[in-house]
Amino acid sequence: MPNLKELKNRISSVKSTRKITSAMKMVAASKLRRAQELAESSRVYADSLSFILSSLAGNTKNSADLPEILTGRENSKISLLIINSSDRGLCGGFNSNLFRNAKKWISDQQGQGKSVKIMTVGKKASSFYKKTDLDIVASFEDLNSNDRQLQVSEEIKNKIMELFENNEIDEVSILFNKFVSAISQEPTYQSLIPLSNDENSEDESESNNAIFEFEPDKNELLEYLVPRNFLTQIYRSVLESSASEHAARMTSMDNATRNAGDMIDRLTLTYNRTRQAFITKELIEIISGAEAV
Amino acid sequence: MINLKVVSPQKVIFEKEVEMAVLPGAEGDFAAMPNHSPFISSLRPGQMAIMSSNKVDESFFVSGGLVMLKEKVCEVLVDQIEPLSDVNSSNYQQSKTYQELEGNETALGTFEQVVNNPPYK
Repeated sequence: MPNLKELKNRISSVKSTRKITSAMKMVAASKLRRAQELAESSRVYADSLSFILSSLAGNTKNSADLPEILTGRENSKISLLIINSSDRGLCGGFNSNLFRNAKKWISDQQGQGKSVKIMTVGKKASSFYKKTDLDIVASFEDLNSNDRQLQVSEEIKNKIMELFENNEIDEVSILFNKFVSAISQEPTYQSLIPLSNDENSEDESESNNAIFEFEPDKNELLEYLVPRNFLTQIYRSVLESSASEHAARMTSMDNATRNAGDMIDRLTLTYNRTRQAFITKELIEIISGAEAV
Repeated sequence: MINLKVVSPQKVIFEKEVEMAVLPGAEGDFAAMPNHSPFISSLRPGQMAIMSSNKVDESFFVSGGLVMLKEKVCEVLVDQIEPLSDVNSSNYQQSKTYQELEGNETALGTFEQVVNNPPYK
């Protein structure tokens, strides 16, 4: 028979766990709202920028005129993957999904005869990849405020431009958890070098109709635009990832709170039964004692 | 009237109908008015002025960016922007824009110039 005192302790510890998880859920929910707003409001800039870039690139008939950093190098050998994880845990399968996905991608690339370098964002990714034998070119941690997110995006941009110019990398992709809804996030790849052209297919037809004049000339504009575009795409992925993180934490903490509640119910039931059993046992002892007399 | 939309990487700063907006293009100031030919330009640091009947209604300092001009729409993608109504020659160094531009001497020089003596007033 379980010990009453033990059960009582167990119940109170599960209760305090439930308090923590429900507080974390609440915090995540309010942070999610803010992160979502940020992600949405940054979308306008990103969309306009990619519209301008695609009308500029689309305007150039001969793709050989475009700089390598836009079209990518032929025979690319080394690809860089930027992995956007979270700084803190307790957010369900958020990071492990991402790492599992990255593993597949990496072996795919290696199968094509390319070597892979890694850049990590967030503490979880850096501690995970430290244990592997992959080449980590840079790690960024503590993305706890919006200013810091922007700053990190800037640093990543500078780093990849530098690596590309030194021929240390030929391709760049970014992996992040795309925010689909509060209950669903999906690991998504986006190619930075070469520039991916898959999205905004509607915009493209529009851009072909309008013929823009450019000032200063295209090459100078591209020189300004390309780094800007990297920065915006990276920043956007960081924001998406942070919105996803809070969403994932919210759902997993919600589950944890519910599980704790179930557990408390079960434990309380056992506690009451045990208590009742003790009382009955004592009564039987008293009665049978009295009968014996 | 032309629809002027000013956007920073973080958010939409404002969007409104204006008669004319003067922008510091990379190769000289230009005015955005309805039915301008489609035009894309980068911006140099300078003053952005919203004008009606030859008077400046609102005035801003922009540190750089891009502008896309279409028939009825003028989209300005700015790096940093500071309304000039909020700053004067004594306090502009405390503004967020000033601190973000730290180290960029040309932009800071232009900022000072625009605050003290804007080309359009």
